[in-house]
Amino acid sequence: MTTSSSSRPPAAGDDAPAVPRADCTADSAGGVTFDVAVAAAPDAALVLRRGGRAGDEVRLPLTPVSPGRLRAVLPSTVDLPEGRWEAHVYGGGTDLTVRPGIRDLRALVSRTPDPRTDAVAVRIPYATADGSLAVRSWRRAPHAEAGDILFDDASMTVEGRLYGAGLGPGAAVEARLRGDRDRVHREPVTGAEHAFSFTLPYAPLAAGRDGAKQAWDLWLTAADGTPAIRVARLLDDIADKQPVFKYPVLPVGDDGKTVAFPYYTLDNDLTVQIGTP
Amino acid sequence: MHISFLLHNAYAVGGTIRTTFNLAQTLAEEHDVEITSVFRHRDEPAMTPPQGVPLGHLVDLRSQSPGYDGNRPEHARPARVFPTGDGRHPQYSRLTDQRIGAHLQGLKADVVVGTRPGLNVHIARQARPGTVRVGQEHLTLDGHRYRLRRELRYRYALLDAVTTVTEADARSYREKFGLPGVRIEAMANIVPPARLAPADGEGKVVVAAGRFAPGKRYDLLIRAFAQVVAAHPDWKLRIYGSGETAPKLRALIDELRLHNHVFLMGVADPLEAEWPKGSIAAVTSDLEAFGMTIVEAMRCGVPVVSTDCPHGPREIIRDGVDGRLVPMGDADAVARALLDLVEDDGLRKRMGRAAFENSARFDPVRIAERHAALYADLVARGTNDRTRSTLRDNLHRVPGVLIDEAFTLRRKVLSTLRKGRTA
Repeated sequence: MTTSSSSRPPAAGDDAPAVPRADCTADSAGGVTFDVAVAAAPDAALVLRRGGRAGDEVRLPLTPVSPGRLRAVLPSTVDLPEGRWEAHVYGGGTDLTVRPGIRDLRALVSRTPDPRTDAVAVRIPYATADGSLAVRSWRRAPHAEAGDILFDDASMTVEGRLYGAGLGPGAAVEARLRGDRDRVHREPVTGAEHAFSFTLPYAPLAAGRDGAKQAWDLWLTAADGTPAIRVARLLDDIADKQPVFKYPVLPVGDDGKTVAFPYYTLDNDLTVQIGTP
Repeated sequence: MHISFLLHNAYAVGGTIRTTFNLAQTLAEEHDVEITSVFRHRDEPAMTPPQGVPLGHLVDLRSQSPGYDGNRPEHARPARVFPTGDGRHPQYSRLTDQRIGAHLQGLKADVVVGTRPGLNVHIARQARPGTVRVGQEHLTLDGHRYRLRRELRYRYALLDAVTTVTEADARSYREKFGLPGVRIEAMANIVPPARLAPADGEGKVVVAAGRFAPGKRYDLLIRAFAQVVAAHPDWKLRIYGSGETAPKLRALIDELRLHNHVFLMGVADPLEAEWPKGSIAAVTSDLEAFGMTIVEAMRCGVPVVSTDCPHGPREIIRDGVDGRLVPMGDADAVARALLDLVEDDGLRKRMGRAAFENSARFDPVRIAERHAALYADLVARGTNDRTRSTLRDNLHRVPGVLIDEAFTLRRKVLSTLRKGRTA
C-alpha cells in the first residue's frame, strides 16, 4: 500500500483503542496513588482484581484532580492480600484494563520500615507481560527481609532484618526441601534483635541427592516456639527480583557434578537450588 | 510550511524514531507536518507517535495484511538507489527504490527531511525540483564506512542542508565534504522535560542505561564501581538495558563479587522514571554520536559522570559545573569522579540542580524553532533563486547531476563487469 500527501491516512491516535493510562506514585509507607486520564463518571472507580477470581477485588473511588484526570488512592491501611492484582477502570457501565503510564517508585528504593512494626505491607505497581497495569502485593506479619548474601567456598551467608519479631533463644534457619517434608536442615541464626545473619553450608543440602534438581526453601524461626517466617526480599521497587538479583553459582564438593546458588522465587522468597552444572 | 519526514521504520523502537516523533510533534503546532515510514512491520507504532501528525508507510511487511509487500519479486532484488554503504541496504530493494521514488515525486511538501544516509540519498536523487531537501545525520561522518562517505560526498551536494547532532560532526562535514551551497548545521536532539519531579540527590544509587554493546564499556563502569563499593558499601549501581555483552557483564560482576552492589536491571519502559531513583548517572562509552541518556538524566536533575569521548558528551556537560568529563577507557578516573560526588552531598546536589537547569536548552520548542528557522531560510532562498535567476541554482545543481549520472553509470559498468565475470 502506498500513501501520499493526497490520500493521507488518519492521524495515529485517532483510531487508538480507548484504553486509559494510569500514572502511579508509591509512598514509603506502602500506599499507592493512581492518576488516570479518563473522563469523570459519578461511579468511577479503580478496581484491583486478583488472579481473575470472582469476588477478590478492591474498589477505590476515582475523584477528579484536574480536567480529564481522576485520582484513586490505595492507602497502606487498606488490606490487599498477597498476590498479583490487575487494575481496571470502572465507570458508566464500562470496565477497562489500564495501561501503565509513568511509575514513580523512588520512595520504595531504599525503604526501611520501623522494625517494631507488626506487619510489612509492600505494593509495587508493574507492567504485566501483556502490557497492562497490575500491582504486586505482599503483607507479611512478621517478616524476614533478606539483604546482602555473601559467599565463601562452600557456604552462603545471608544478612537481613526482622520485622514484627525479635531474635531470641533458639533462633534458627531451616532449609526445607520442596516436595519432601521430612528433609529439613537447620542452622543457627546470629544477630541482635532485628538484625539477623545465618550461614548455610551447601554440603549437607547436597548430600544424598539422586541427581535431580533440588529447591530448598529458607524459613527463619526467630526464637524457640515461634512460627517459622519465610525469608524473602520485598522492600524495594523491583516487582520481580529473580532476573535482577543473580548470585554466583558455586561448585559443591570436588566431583564437579554438583553446584549450588540462591535465587528468588516468583513470589520473591529466597530459595537455594542444588543442581548439576 | 508543509514539512514531510522520511523514516526507515516509524513502527520500531530507536533513538532516531523517538527524536523524529518529538520534532514532528513540536513542529506540528505551527506547521503542516507528516511522517512517512518506508517500512511497516506492525499495526501500531511501538513508541507513542506524535498526535495530529499523519503517519503513512510505503512498504507493508505485515504478513497478515492484505497489502503485504514482502513476497513481491522486486523486493527480493537489491536496491540501486539506496546506497550499498548504508548498513540498512540489505533491507532495501528494487521495490523500495520505486516506492520511495514515487512518494518523493508525488510529494507536494515545501521541505522533505531524510533521517538516515540512505534516505538522504533518495531525497538528493529523487525529490521534486523546488522542494527543499534536508538530510539529517543521527550518527557521525567518522563512523560511516569509506564506501558510504565517498558516495555521500557526491550525493549530499544535491541537498539544501545537512543537519548533524553535534557541532563536532558539523565541522567534519564542512571540512571533509566542503559542499558548496549546502547549509551544514548542528541541531541537538530534542529531550522533553521530565514528567516527574527531579531527583533530590539523596538516593545512594548510580544509574546507567543503554544498549549492552562493547562500545558502551559497561565493563569499565563495573570495574570503576568496585572502587566506589570498597569505600562506600551502601552505594549501588543499576545498569538498564539489554544486548550482546550481558553474559560478559554478568560474569564480571560475579568475578568481582559485586552481586550485592551492581545490578543488570533489564529494559525499563519508560526509562524516565529510573533516573530520579539515583543521584548520579554514568556514561563510560568510547563513542556517543550525541549522548541522549546524558541529557535525559540531566533533565531529571541527575548529574552525569561521562567519558570525554567523541562527539556528544563535551557539548552537553560542562565539566565540574553540571557533571564530570573523564578520560576515555580509564576506570580509575571514572572511580575518582564518582567518589568525588559520592563523598560530597553538597557538590552532588549543586551539580544536580545545575544539570537540571542547563539541560533546558534541549527543550522541544527551542530545538524545533531552530529547525523551523533553517527550513524557512531555505524555502525563502529557493524562492529568491527562482524569481531572480535559476543560474545560481544550476551552478550548484548541474555538476551534482552530472556527477550523479557518472556515478550511477560507473556502478552499472562495474556491476555488468562483475556479472560478466561470474557468467
